[in-house]
Amino acid sequence: MRRLRLLFLFPTASILLLLFAVPLGILLVYACMTRGAYGGTMPPFTGESWLRVLDPLYLGIVGRSFLVAGISTLICVVLGFPLALFISRSGPRKNLYLSLVMLPFWTSFLVRTYAWMFLLRDTGLINTALQSLGLIREPLPLLYNWWAVILGLVYGYLPFMVLPLFSTLERLDPALMEAAGDLGARPSQSLLRVLLPLSAPGIRAGAILVFIPCLGAYLTPDLLGGGRTILIGTLIQNQFSNSRDWPFGSAISLALMALVMVMLWIQVRRKGEPLL
Amino acid sequence: MISRRKTLFFLGLTGVAGCSRANRLRLNVFNWSNYVGENTLPAFEAETGIRVRYAIYESNEEMLARVMTGNSGWDVVFPSNYFIGPMREMELLAPLDHSRLGQLGNLDSIFQKPEWDRNLHWSMPYMWGSSGILFNTKSGPSPRTWAELWTSRFQGRMTMLDDPAEVFGAALKKLGRSLNASSERDLRAALQEALRQKPLLRAYLNAEVRDQIVAGDIAACQTWATTAQQAIDAAPHLHYVYPLEGYALYADCAALLRESRRADLAHQFLDYLLRADVAAGIVTYSRTATANAAARTRIPAAISSLKTLYPDSETLARGEWFAPLAAQAQRLRDRLWTELKSA
Repeated sequence: MRRLRLLFLFPTASILLLLFAVPLGILLVYACMTRGAYGGTMPPFTGESWLRVLDPLYLGIVGRSFLVAGISTLICVVLGFPLALFISRSGPRKNLYLSLVMLPFWTSFLVRTYAWMFLLRDTGLINTALQSLGLIREPLPLLYNWWAVILGLVYGYLPFMVLPLFSTLERLDPALMEAAGDLGARPSQSLLRVLLPLSAPGIRAGAILVFIPCLGAYLTPDLLGGGRTILIGTLIQNQFSNSRDWPFGSAISLALMALVMVMLWIQVRRKGEPLL
Repeated sequence: MISRRKTLFFLGLTGVAGCSRANRLRLNVFNWSNYVGENTLPAFEAETGIRVRYAIYESNEEMLARVMTGNSGWDVVFPSNYFIGPMREMELLAPLDHSRLGQLGNLDSIFQKPEWDRNLHWSMPYMWGSSGILFNTKSGPSPRTWAELWTSRFQGRMTMLDDPAEVFGAALKKLGRSLNASSERDLRAALQEALRQKPLLRAYLNAEVRDQIVAGDIAACQTWATTAQQAIDAAPHLHYVYPLEGYALYADCAALLRESRRADLAHQFLDYLLRADVAAGIVTYSRTATANAAARTRIPAAISSLKTLYPDSETLARGEWFAPLAAQAQRLRDRLWTELKSA
């Protein structure tokens, strides 16, 4: 029996080891080495890259990335909750709506981000439509700012909020809300004091699934932010391209991973229940 | 005992191996996009029987990261001039054998003894270009200097390249210093300039700016001559300016990797690229600036007279070639670049 279990676990375990643990180990080694003059790494081993992570300049970028990821996650919760509730209560049409939520995944994220650029540009669809309706004279500066970045992130990761929320809400007994109403709760009260607390696990799972990719996002901030801003994903990418500082790039990536892990761990400890 | 079947199998194997050695004269070429014509490689393959495996890259760093290991499998790469020195120091390059490059004389005189490789010992200039200002003539008189990108005239309707060397380079030129000035004082002064300019800018964009200046979102941008030419082809009211304070020049050069065991084929390929008619065919297709002077007399006048690609000698004299940055200065510049982006 034991042997059989090992046999079945072997493929997954070896994939994880090869594609996750080994690259991570390489990153760890890189992060402790010296920067090669033109990229790459060389001996001697040093902790310099780790100290640089603590530089206020880079900490500021980490802070800003957390803020942007946090705002995006919050918006995803606010937008995702009603949608998930609606889908969970729409009976036989449930599957249709769910597949509509997942429909965007059929095209590449890059292409969809370019589509947003087309919509938001000065000569894009939104501005030309508003102008021809006579609502505005000068085009609105929709592209290349923080809100464009957040819009792109919310758009990209909203499905990751809706799906876990849906599965939590679907399992809730509708009778609970009726009971709350029978016991004299106003609709707003039963929403805030019954429905919301009961769907907390779904919100938490969705928030984690949205927050983490938003934190490391690189494509969206770059394309919709127009390079005016720098978030941690772009900072890491720069180290491996233009700046040719692999040790520092490895150190920031690992520091970011560690930070996220610690946050998740604290969450688990405090709540004492599984995360997802 | 070896069965009949196995014998056949072994015979088959040696047969395959024999074939592959005889027929597979193969050359691996790693180049920038849009740098050969449609027929350049097929014609070479038909003429020589050498098969060319060809792939493209989008940045010097990308190419360097691949070939740095010393067993990348590529034979010929096309680093920019300021990457030749570093790649030589990293012992990645093999010297060129001029006796096998009979047509080196076809190169333009400015590329016969370039400052980055005096005797063309390691590299063969191939294409070149500049970075200047592309500008929409419908929005008023033409800017003539970098300094005009620091005024409110194009506020919110201009972009700079998303590249530290280019942005700080333009700032240094505006300050009347060298493009390659790398002392801490120079770089900090460049940062101050760039910080003053940032609120006036719409964004820092590389190739994406082309569509936006064509559509009219952007009125003026810092861009590469090659990109500018593509934009002008789509929108003739655009105009490319070589700023008066000076501007950056770069040349992408063919180089032979030290790891290559196909030096013969590589030289054959480079000499083929040096031919006037081949080089002319390439730029007629790609609309980039060739380093091959003999080719220029054979390309349509409509291309060779394009000022965007081929500035006159007086304009050319204002340009400055990018040079490699020392490791320490590179590090400082990257930090300052992050400061600019964080501001």
